[in-house]
Amino acid sequence: MAIDHDEVRELLAAWAVGALLPAEQKTVPLHLAECETCAAEAEQLRETVRLLDGPHAGLRAGSRLNGAAGNGQGVLTAALRSRPRTARVAPHAAPYAAAVAGLQALLPELDGHWTTPVVHDWNAHATVAHLLAADEPLALRLGLDARVPASPVPQDTPWEDAWNARSAEVIAHEFTRTPEETVAAWAAQSRALLATPEAHDPERAARATTLMGMPLPVAEHFLVRAFETWIHTDDLGRALGVPVPPPPDEHLWTLVRLSLRVIGLVLSTAPPVRFAMTGAEPGTEWVLGSEHEPVRAEVVIDPVDFCLLLGGRYAPDAVPRTTTGDEGAVRNVLETAAAMSWL
Amino acid sequence: MSVEPTADRTESVPADAALHRRLVYGDESALNEAYAVYGGLVRAVAVRVTGSRGAAEDVAQEVFAQLWSRPYGFDPRRGSLRTWLSVLAHRRAVDWVRSEARHRKAAQADDSALQAIPDAGPGPDEAVVDRERSLLLHSALAGLPEPQREVVHLAYFAGRTYRQAARELGIPEGTAKTRLRSALRKLAESLTDPPDRALGRGA
Repeated sequence: MAIDHDEVRELLAAWAVGALLPAEQKTVPLHLAECETCAAEAEQLRETVRLLDGPHAGLRAGSRLNGAAGNGQGVLTAALRSRPRTARVAPHAAPYAAAVAGLQALLPELDGHWTTPVVHDWNAHATVAHLLAADEPLALRLGLDARVPASPVPQDTPWEDAWNARSAEVIAHEFTRTPEETVAAWAAQSRALLATPEAHDPERAARATTLMGMPLPVAEHFLVRAFETWIHTDDLGRALGVPVPPPPDEHLWTLVRLSLRVIGLVLSTAPPVRFAMTGAEPGTEWVLGSEHEPVRAEVVIDPVDFCLLLGGRYAPDAVPRTTTGDEGAVRNVLETAAAMSWL
Repeated sequence: MSVEPTADRTESVPADAALHRRLVYGDESALNEAYAVYGGLVRAVAVRVTGSRGAAEDVAQEVFAQLWSRPYGFDPRRGSLRTWLSVLAHRRAVDWVRSEARHRKAAQADDSALQAIPDAGPGPDEAVVDRERSLLLHSALAGLPEPQREVVHLAYFAGRTYRQAARELGIPEGTAKTRLRSALRKLAESLTDPPDRALGRGA
């Protein structure tokens, strides 16, 4: 097959590094044999590649990918030491362990950005301090000690007020310390939570207890912790311009199922709406609202967007979705979900 | 016509994104998988630049430790994991050679200070010159604009054809050819530049 001079010129670099298509491996040298200009450029590029190969080319017999057998175990063992190990816990606590690992991995990126505004009126330092406060009720319930001195709270304070006051108190306290100290306190509390018997023993975690106004098994309170840790890690990532991927699918669906159940309790008398999530297993649908009425509408929503709505990161009318049927019924459900703002 | 393994952009993006997600959330098996797929490439790049299997081992450790401890440093929407690891391995390997060259010079300076009579032997032999020129070229390669550097990594280090490289980068074939040619021409020119300037630019 004949090949034209200009075409070959465009291919000389690919020829020099051995990146030609199989058919061209014959035609290019044929042209080089008869064209001095191309041959001169080819020679110069080939010499460049020879020098790029280095004076040690003999070390590498065979293919380029066949670098050196090497000691894979040594490389992996050394690499694993570069980051705290993810806690090995029972499946109900695994989403929290993973979320903690995901935030811990983001911490080096926060270096030098602790005063960056993140969410509400919090900067990065305050956001980690808030997590220290947010994990505290479960920690106390499981018998761990508070890491920040607490002021007394009147007995009949509604949980939301107590929660907000405690968060503000911990943030104010942490602002008297360095971000590194706050991070250390948060990490230590997370580690302690993941070391409790309740994180390892599903039977002990089945015990129900009321935290943040929700009577749930301890196992599910661990899920709520995972949810909040992820949402705030996502907040921090957005503030830094570092995209934070959603939790692994298995964990994400666990969070979605729990959320739907909790919202379902609040919506038991509302006009029912069918929820379909993109990427869910075929045939998986949820109906939120009264069980005694026909379904009024159907909404298709991405599970991550749904979680962001619940976390208060989307306004109900701004969350991407596809609706069929009664728009009012859908709005009611989404507004209820967003109003829970349990994060 | 032989069929080579392809990893085009549409396949590699979801696979990279899924692996990245697991790395972020501390799943050790994801690191094992990344090593199984890209460990050979990382070592090959490092051996090529350093000429030392021991150094390549150190470079591979640094590269995979960075992937594991700073997983957010890789963004699957901006490029493939293959290219990212290859570029990282190359940069680390160039750093290794530079620091080794500094040590060698320091050692030579010590030697000549100790010896009353300087070595009157022949000047630097061909291997030494080649080693210096190789370092010069690799410094220049590390300093190429990202789009050109990526094509060189795929076509030269990862052994892809320009067609496969184009697909993996999501660019037209003609663009891949042009970038590869501009990159190689720039490297060739760096050899005729005064060495200090070329070195400084690569730093």
